[in-house]
Formats: sequence, C-alpha cells, structure tokens
Amino acid sequence: MTKARDFFGLVFSKPWVRALSALVFVALLGIIFNAEGTFFKWSTHRDMLRQVSVYGMLACGMTLVIITSGIDLSVGSVLGLSAVLFSIATLHLAWPAWLAIAVTLLAGIACGTLSGAMIARFRMQPFVATLAMMVFARGAAKYLSGGQKVSTAVAQADGTYKYVDLPRIFSLIDHRILGDNIAVVALIFLGCVLLCWLLLAKLRWGRYLYATGGNEEAARLSGIPTGAVKLLAYGLSGMFCALAGICQAVQEQQGDPEAGTSYELTAIAMVVIGGTSLSGGRGGILFTLLGVVTIGYLEKILSINAVGEASRLMLTGIIIVAAVLFQKTKKA
Amino acid sequence: MFAAGTAAFGTLPAGKKMVIGMSQCNLGEPWRVQMNADIKKAAQKVPGLDVVFKDAQNDTLKQRAQVEEFINSGVDLLIVSPKEAAPLTPPIAEAYKKGIPVIVLDRKVLGNDYTMFIGADNKRIGLAAGRWIAKRLGGKGKIVELKGLMTSTPGQDRNSGFRQGIKGSGLQVAFEADMKWLEPDARKEMESALAVHSDVDLVYAHNDPGAHGAYLAAKAVGREKNIMFVGIDGLPQEGQAYVKQGLLEASFEYPTGGKEAVENAMKILGGKKGLPKELKLESRVFTKANIDKGGELLK
Repeated sequence: MTKARDFFGLVFSKPWVRALSALVFVALLGIIFNAEGTFFKWSTHRDMLRQVSVYGMLACGMTLVIITSGIDLSVGSVLGLSAVLFSIATLHLAWPAWLAIAVTLLAGIACGTLSGAMIARFRMQPFVATLAMMVFARGAAKYLSGGQKVSTAVAQADGTYKYVDLPRIFSLIDHRILGDNIAVVALIFLGCVLLCWLLLAKLRWGRYLYATGGNEEAARLSGIPTGAVKLLAYGLSGMFCALAGICQAVQEQQGDPEAGTSYELTAIAMVVIGGTSLSGGRGGILFTLLGVVTIGYLEKILSINAVGEASRLMLTGIIIVAAVLFQKTKKA
Repeated sequence: MFAAGTAAFGTLPAGKKMVIGMSQCNLGEPWRVQMNADIKKAAQKVPGLDVVFKDAQNDTLKQRAQVEEFINSGVDLLIVSPKEAAPLTPPIAEAYKKGIPVIVLDRKVLGNDYTMFIGADNKRIGLAAGRWIAKRLGGKGKIVELKGLMTSTPGQDRNSGFRQGIKGSGLQVAFEADMKWLEPDARKEMESALAVHSDVDLVYAHNDPGAHGAYLAAKAVGREKNIMFVGIDGLPQEGQAYVKQGLLEASFEYPTGGKEAVENAMKILGGKKGLPKELKLESRVFTKANIDKGGELLK
C-alpha cells in the first residue's frame, strides 16, 4: 500500500508526467465524445496540429519570456501587424517572397527588442512595457492597412478593384507535405519548438534565461548580462510572432489588422498548462508543446461535437484550473 | 461600383459652409470602415460640406461623450451609428431638442427624438438568403450554418430569418457553430463539419469572411467544388470580390446606408419637409450571373 503510494508519488513528482496527464485527460474526452468516430480519423489530428500551430509559435516566445520571469502581452498584436506587413508586401507591392518574409521577421524582432529594451534598459515592468507594445502594434496594423483587410482585391484610385493572383508563397506554406500528412505551418511550429529547445537545453544563453528568471540579482552578480538576456528573450518572441503572422496571413489569404486579438491569453494558457511557472526560472519548451497540444485537442473535441460557445468557454476555464491545480499537488 | 448615382446630392448656397458630425461606434469592422468611406465619398460631391468623423472604439460611454462634443462644437447635423440604444438615447435627444438634426444609422435608439432612422433589416436578409438557398438547391440538401456572434442581434436575426426562409423545404441544417464573425474561427469550425459530414451541399455563413474561411477549409481537403458557399454583407472588397472570383455562390448585401445618410442630410439641411421618419434600405444579392451588373435587388 505504502509502496504503491510511494511509486505514484514518485511518478507524479515528475513535472512531465503532470503535464502529460492533462493531455491524457483531454484525449480521454475525445475517445468518449468521438463524434461518430471522427476523433479516430488521422485527418482530425493532422488538422488539430495545423490549427494550433499559430498559437503554438506565440507560446514558444511566451515560454522564453516567462522563464525570464517576464510576460509578453504584445504577441497577438505583433502577429496582426506582421500579417498586414507581409500581405502588403506580397499582395500590394508584389515583392519577392524572401524579401517580404525578411522584412516581416525584422519588424517582429524590432517590436520584441523594443519591448525588451524598455524592460532591460528603462526598468519598466514587463506587463506595462508589453501592454504599450500591444496597443501600439495594433494601431500600426490598422494604420498600415487603413482599417481594411489587405487582400487580393486591391483598391484603385477610382474606387474600383483590381484582383491580383495569390503569390506562390501562400500555397507553399498553406499546404501539406510528406504524403499529405503534415501541414507546412505545423512543421514551422515544430521548428520553433526545436529552436527553443536547443537554446534552453543546449546553449549557455539558455541557462542564462533560467538564471535571470530565477534570481536576477544573483545572476547579474555572477556576471550574466541580464539586460542582453532579456533583449534576446523578447526579440525572439517578436520573431516568433512575425512567423505566426505570416502563417496566419497565408492561411487566411489576407492580412487582417484585427488578426491575433486576444491570442496572447491563449498563448499564456498554453504555457501555464504545460507547467512553466509564471514566477520564472522554471519550465521548458517541451512542457509548452504539451500545453499547446492539450488546448488544441480540447478545442478540436468541442468543435467536432458542435458544442455551443457558452459551454466551450466554461469547459476551457475548468480545464485550465484543473490542469494547474494538478501541477501544484507535489505528491499523491 | 456604386458610381451609378453620381448626380449631385444637392448644393449648399454659394459660399456657405456646413459641418456634419459623424459618430461611428467602432472602426474595428470592415463593414463600418466602409460606412465611413461611403459617407466621405458622398460628402465630397457637395462643395462646402465638411464631415468630421469620430470613432468610439466600441465604447458606449466614449460614444456618448463624442455626441456631446459635437453638440458643443455646434455642428449643423449629426449622423450617429450607435453601439447601444439606451445609453445613446439621451445625448441624441438632447441634440435633437437643441435643433440639431440627427440621422441615426444602422442601429436604432429609443423613443422618437431623432430626425430620421436609416437601416437595413437583418431578419429580412436572412429570410431572403434562406429562400434563395432553398430554391438554388431544389428544396433538399445538407447545410452547414456558420453563425455570427449569437449574443449579437445581427447574428440572431440572420439565424432566425434564415430558419424561417428554409422552413417547409427539405433542407436540413446538419452542423451549426458560432464562428463569432471571425474568419479563422469559421475555418476551424468548417474543418470539423467536413470531418463529421461527408456530404455537405452548402455553407450558409452569417458574414462573407466566414463563408471565405469555410471555402478555404473545403479547399484544403479538395471538397470545395462539391459545396456551395453563401455569405452576407456584400462589401466590394470582400463578398463582391469573392463572388467575382468564383469562391462564393452568392453574397447578400447588408447596405451601410452611408450614401443615403448624406443624401438625406442634404434634404434636411435644405429645409425639405415631409421626409420619412424611417428609411428601410434595399438590399441586393450578388451572384456570378449578376455581379457585373451590380447585383439584383431583393424583393
């Protein structure tokens, strides 16, 4: 009896087991409420991964920032700004794809680095600095787009519309490869996860991120450039937002200045469900991957069962609380 | 496209300048951006007429303050597209009683203290869409309904009108979901609908971006050719463009009334009597067959 308890205590003290159990619980929901077998089709899982990828990219950056004990509220707005920029460059200005991608990524990195600079250099609280960036970037998206979606219907001076063809880059990214089995967007997301994993687990700067979030003063005194560490975290977060913005634009075939509204909350929820603590210094990108997939499955299961909006919101709230409470129980 | 009515809306006495204050409840939606654009375009045709635009950013109290600002600055006429009826009724009534004519656009206020209400009827448009779809499908088929935010009146009316329109036909709504007017959500919900149902005939979405999102979802699994897509709003750069590009089977116009507001503002400022208290806007349906002729009026 005590042996069994010790065993479970040991197993559940492992953070990845706790992160996994939320996913298992949601998967069980899917197996029970399978919408006439739809949950057992491979395409359901393939589509889930694609749908959740844009949020997942935001959650990657959010994980880095939260590990430094910060927060990035601007991710949704920077996504919207990036989607608009990318669409203007490709659809209206007919720039080559590489140039449009490069400029969009640079703009994302610039937004993130600017937030990081306000936090590191001017000692603004991350909540305040990124709140300002959230408002500013949304304004910039609306300004550049004139408040309208940037689409293949291009307004001419005389009020008529000219229709441009969708550039090839759109179908290249919004497309499935490997025998129709995985979306390019999902691969981009997994690439972001890999990049974060390399940084956090293999590189010295990854340890700097944990050290800065764990105890900034101690980190600074032991010679870690905490300011540069923050610039890196927020800059990378901005870059992931830009990637997410490009992926959002190609999937919508337009740049919507309202795109990404409230996505920051979903991204934070994904990180937290994975078990990365909001107080910083702890967590990891693979936990976030579990959190991303957990939310992805939850949304998919609610959607294939055509559950009403009201019940969806309540269930999502309950699952977030349950997952986090579960992480808190140290031992069974 | 709307160039048909290029005739002047009327003229101001030579050398006279007049100012219209326009209070828009929210510029976060393309449809409302279009409403402002329509007003601006119409007003530019009248020399000496100036329109000052204010955006309340979906905040009722901000809109109330903006109406009060217009009263204080002494505009000659007010156009208000209110966010909510009750809280905006007192400031609009105040302007009206002070002798500033007020045109209320799209959503009504309470009582009678305004000069004219101009708006379209979502329920009637939903009903027309339902009847049109029933006819197009020959009275039977499986439908996916992608609803706008069901806590909003346009969403409710576009739903109930549609249901009334298909009543008695053999059409069956096999899957319905709330996509909250958002294209990415519509695509997600449509993917689920496609996964659950292998034989969808038509998608009725409460707005064109929703129909477009559904189209993209069907295209991703190679089923877009077997399904028809119908949306509402018919904005030139959205619904009309999608119909022209052959993505949507039809788009039902929800007119902004911007042009009509300026037309009637000129009549009011010119002292014309006997104008109606309420102007119901006509709506058009755009299909591949009629899009180049500017759509067809709904009866």
